[in-house]
This record gives sequence, structure tokens and C-alpha cells, in this order.
Amino acid sequence: MTRNGPIALIFHSLVVLFMLAPLAIVCLVAFTPENTLSLPTRGLSLRWFEAVFRHPDFVQSFWNSLWLALLSATLAVVLAVPAALAITRWEFRGRGFLNALFLSPLIIPHLVLGVAMLRLFALVGATGSFGWLVAAHIVIVTPYVMRLLIAAITGFDRSVEQAAYSLGASEATVFRRVTLPMILPGVTGGWLIAFINSFDELTMSIFITSPSTVTLPVRMYMYATESIDPMMAAVSAIIVGITAVAVLLLDRVYGLDRILVGQH
Amino acid sequence: MSFLELKDITKSYGTLNAVSDVTLSVEKGEFVSLLGPSGCGKTTTLQMIAGFVEPTSGTIRLDGRDITHAKANSRGLGIVFQSYALFPHMTVFDNVSFGLEMQRVPKSDRRPRVEEALELVHLAAYAGRYPRELSGGQRQRVALARAIVIRPPVLLLDEPLSNLDAKLREAMQFELRDIQRKVGTTTVMVTHDQAEAFSISDRVVVMESGRITQIDQPYRIYEHPETEFISRFVGKTNLLPGTVQAVNDRAATVSLGGVPVEIDAGALVRGDTVTLCIRPEKLRLTGTGLGRLPGRVAERYFLGSQWLYHIDGPLGTLMAVTPNDGSAPLDTGEPVGLDWTPSVVRVHRGRLAEAPDPTLEAH
Ligand SMILES: Nc1ncnc2c1ncn2[C@@H]1O[C@H](COP(=O)(O)OP(=O)(O)OP(=O)(O)O)[C@@H](O)[C@H]1O
Ligand SMILES: [Mg+2]
Repeated sequence: MTRNGPIALIFHSLVVLFMLAPLAIVCLVAFTPENTLSLPTRGLSLRWFEAVFRHPDFVQSFWNSLWLALLSATLAVVLAVPAALAITRWEFRGRGFLNALFLSPLIIPHLVLGVAMLRLFALVGATGSFGWLVAAHIVIVTPYVMRLLIAAITGFDRSVEQAAYSLGASEATVFRRVTLPMILPGVTGGWLIAFINSFDELTMSIFITSPSTVTLPVRMYMYATESIDPMMAAVSAIIVGITAVAVLLLDRVYGLDRILVGQH
Repeated sequence: MSFLELKDITKSYGTLNAVSDVTLSVEKGEFVSLLGPSGCGKTTTLQMIAGFVEPTSGTIRLDGRDITHAKANSRGLGIVFQSYALFPHMTVFDNVSFGLEMQRVPKSDRRPRVEEALELVHLAAYAGRYPRELSGGQRQRVALARAIVIRPPVLLLDEPLSNLDAKLREAMQFELRDIQRKVGTTTVMVTHDQAEAFSISDRVVVMESGRITQIDQPYRIYEHPETEFISRFVGKTNLLPGTVQAVNDRAATVSLGGVPVEIDAGALVRGDTVTLCIRPEKLRLTGTGLGRLPGRVAERYFLGSQWLYHIDGPLGTLMAVTPNDGSAPLDTGEPVGLDWTPSVVRVHRGRLAEAPDPTLEAH
């Protein structure tokens, strides 16, 4: 790390301030006792949080989003672990293609994915199905999991596995007792990133949610197009809170600098 | 029949033969080292014994059983890797216990055996630590304990000491030998460090570009290297090209660029081109006018227990080593005489190949 000079320090502080200020303001506004979006000047109130939990649509969307994020993150990890192992360790035909395929959702705009998925769902008659929504989210979160897993597996000393193997362990035992625990930070990190991405996803979900599967960001978007009141701020604060907890956990188990800067 | 037998083992990667026709017998309880410069196929040979690399041809027998194509996890061999390859997420105790668990040793029997193994490597107090909390030497000993606790028929060591600093490496050499003697396990060690190979092995196998060039006791390899490559790879040596001038039944005279030198006659004939090898410590420095050749000190290096001199003379520059016995060393420019006993001169047929110095390749 290079030391920052005073000008760079001011610049960085401004950037951070610029990025954090809206979040901080939204979270503050969520505690306003007023009926309009305003900073709480006359004391703090939880009335808008209460309003959120009283609002059946928001509650349902909250659970939808939570389940969706839990399921898609978990299934993406289950899918990505063997895929990442195969791509990093074996030479086979179509390896490069498979790698590109798994990472391609990263560069396809979610808008395009949304339209494509909408068509696909209509074709297979799955419009409005929660299972297919999960599948669509798996597609967009898997690349993140793959990236982290490939990094974890690439920096892996194969002789550790050989040592276990030579001590009489079967291939399955080597995977369970040695490989998996050693790539666990990558697995957990990947899962958390997938969770955050799925929980926050709006653009694609707008196209493929049905009234019963509407996610929290989509619900917010729908609500906000009609009216803006401090309840929006309260929902935002909840999303920010959940994401922040996930990011803190991620930093704990994997280290944010490893993901963002690629340091080890 | 020997305990571990490699017969005509060859491993090819495409057109490259990493190992060619290696035949080696190791007796029960023996400590054998594979010694050779980098890339000569030592690791590949060891990996074939371990079962991680499949030989292209040839057979490997262990205690009479053909294990050439047996899976690595069915061979029961103990392996110490160059990187130690400890399980980072397990304590020292669990690392050592892993192999016993795989062998389905009952839990009550595992503890005393793990403790015994840790005792042997002087790490009994470290059972609860994680590998990252250990020094290099301690990790190395955990790796050793983990390999010997399963009581393997053969212990395989791939450059086990190369990650340690010089002082610790020397201490560990003796400790390794000591432990191997105590448990009596047949051991094959890979190394490119000749001092390491010599000090702890019963026999040394010298390899050169995939082939075995000599198998012998350390002393014999040093004193009677079979090829000029070995004499250069193993220790320092003076190599002198010449032509046989005269032969009688006990001695032969070799002309080294016009300078006649007498050696013990082998099966030499007049006119043979030969290379004479004389180890630096076999050259004696005598007073001027004495000895076989005159010379002059060109350089002087202090090696702690010894002095190394470069002596200019009629044969070019020769290396000579004298023990640092406390007497004053010779000064540069000082004239000296060079003497040696004819029996210390080794003769290789043929001219000195202009090959790069193999000792440089080794590092
Ligand atoms: N998987 C492989 N594919 C292709 N070539 C290989 C492979 N493994 C080893 N080789 C080649 O085989 C030769 C012998 O390699 P090996 O690792 O046995 O050398 P080594 O004697 O252990 O050397 P070092 O002292 O550097 O460890 C080398 O030329 C190496 O490049
Ligand atoms: Mg090697």
C-alpha cells in the first residue's frame, strides 16, 4: 500500500462521503416521525418501520427475497464447487468454453437477461413460478461464486491432498476432510456475495416476478412509482442493514480486500 | 529378493523421458538417497514409488508384491513432501492422527501412538498447535511424525530439509537419521544436496538426466566416482586432460600438456586420452622445490575449518584444500610445491566434455 498525500486523502474522503452520505441520509429519514421524507428533527420514531411490517405486501416480499437469496446462493455454491474444481484442475475439451459460459452473466446486462428470461418462462409455461425465479437468480450469482472459488482452488497446494491420499484416505474422504475445509473461506465468501447480489437484484427480477413472487426491491420500485413516503426510507434501511451484516460477515470469513483488490 | 525393487522403470512425458530404465533394489531397513541435479528425474522416480505418477513401463515390487499399478492410497507408504503438506485446518495431533483414523485404528489406540510419534520428533508439547503456529523445522518434524505413525513399510522423503536454513538443516540431518535408525523404516530420500545425501545414507543413487549413473556407498561415490560428471557433481575436483605416454605393469605415465605425471596403472594403453581427477584435499602443499610440481598461490579463501587455495602451475590453476590447523596460511604470490600420492588420482577415459559445471545446475 502506498501512503496517501494530503490531497489524495481529501479526495478519497470526499468520494467516500459522496457514496456514504445518501445511505446515511436514507437511514436517518427512516426514523422520521413526519409524514414526508424529512430528516428527523423532532425526535426519532419507529412508526415507518412499523408501517412496513403492517404492510402485508412488503412482509411477503421480504420473505420472498430472503428465501430467494438463501436458495439461489446455496444452490449456486453447490453447482460452482464441482465446476470450479473441474475447470481449475482438469484439462478437457471445452474447458475454456465452460469457464466463459459460467462467467458470461457478468457481462450481459440484467435488463437483457430479464427480457430473455421472460421469453423463456413464457415458452416453458413457467411464468410466475418461484422455482424458475430461483433458477434465474442462480444464473446471475454463479459467476461471483465461481470467481472466488477459482481463486481459492488455484492457490491450493495439491500435495496436501496427496498427503491425505497417501495416508489411506479415499477420494471422497480427501474432498470432505481436506479439500473442502481448505477452500471453505472461498465457499463462504462466494455464498455471501451471491446472497447479497440476489437480495439486491432489481432489474432482471422486474421482468420475471409474478404478484405472489414479488421481491423486496421490485416491491419497492412498484411502490415508489406511485408514491414516495418515509416508508420507502424504512425499507431501504432494512435492505442496507441486511446487506451490511452480510458484508461484515464476508469481511470476517474471507476478507474484503481479497475480493475487491485481489490481495492474499 | 530385495524389499523394494524398481525394474526398468521409465516415465515419458510426450517425447521427453523424465526417467529412463531405472533399476534399483533397496534392502529392508536401508536408507537410500537419490542424488542429482535439478530436473534429473528424482521427484518423478519417488512419485512413481508413491503411486502418484504411473510408470510408462517397468515394474515396482514391494516385499515381493507387484505394486506398479496399485493406487497410492492402498500402498500404505509414508511420504514427507518438500512443502510438508500439513493439513492447515487441523492441529498437530489431528494431523498425525489422520493416517491412523484412515486405517481404522480404534480411538483408544490412536492417542498413545500419536503421542509416541510426537515424542520421537520432540514435539510432544506442541500437539494442540496449528501448523501455522510452528516454525519450519517443527513443521518438518510434524510431517515426519505423520508419515511414520502409520508404520509404513517404506518412507519416502522429497527434499525434506531443503526449506530449512543451513544450521537447522544440518541438525535435522542427524535427527532424521537417528529417527530412521530407531524405527528401522526402509527409507528413500530425494535430494540435490550431496552433503545431505552423504551424511545420512547407507547408499547413494546418483541420477543424471533420467538415468542412474552410479549406486554406491557415500564414501565410494566420493572416492571412486564412475563418471567425470559424478566427480564434478559430488564435491570439488581438479580435472586434468592428458594422454597416456607409457605403461608398465604397476604404473602409467600420463602427459598433461607436456608435463609427465605418474599414476597407478589401470587397464590403460599407450595413446589413450584420459582425464585425471584429483580432489583438492588430496593435494599437499610442500615447500618450494619439493613435491611433484612447482606452483604459486594465486588466490586464498577462508572456509572456516579449511583454507582453499588456487595454485597456478604448469597444469593451469589447481584447487587445494588444507585444514585450518591453526598454523599461518600461505600468502598469495608465495611459491609452493604440490605433492600427492599416486593412488588418489582417479582416471576417466576420454576427454573432458565441455559441459557446464553440474554443481551450478544443482541450485
Ligand atoms: N507432469 C509433467 N509433465 C511434463 N514434464 C514433466 C512433468 N513432471 C516432470 N516433468 C519433467 O521431468 C523431468 C524430471 O522432473 P523431476 O521433477 O523428476 O526432477 P527433479 O530431479 O525432482 O528436479 P528438482 O531437483 O528440480 O526437483 C523434468 O525435466 C521435468 O520438466
Ligand atoms: Mg524434485
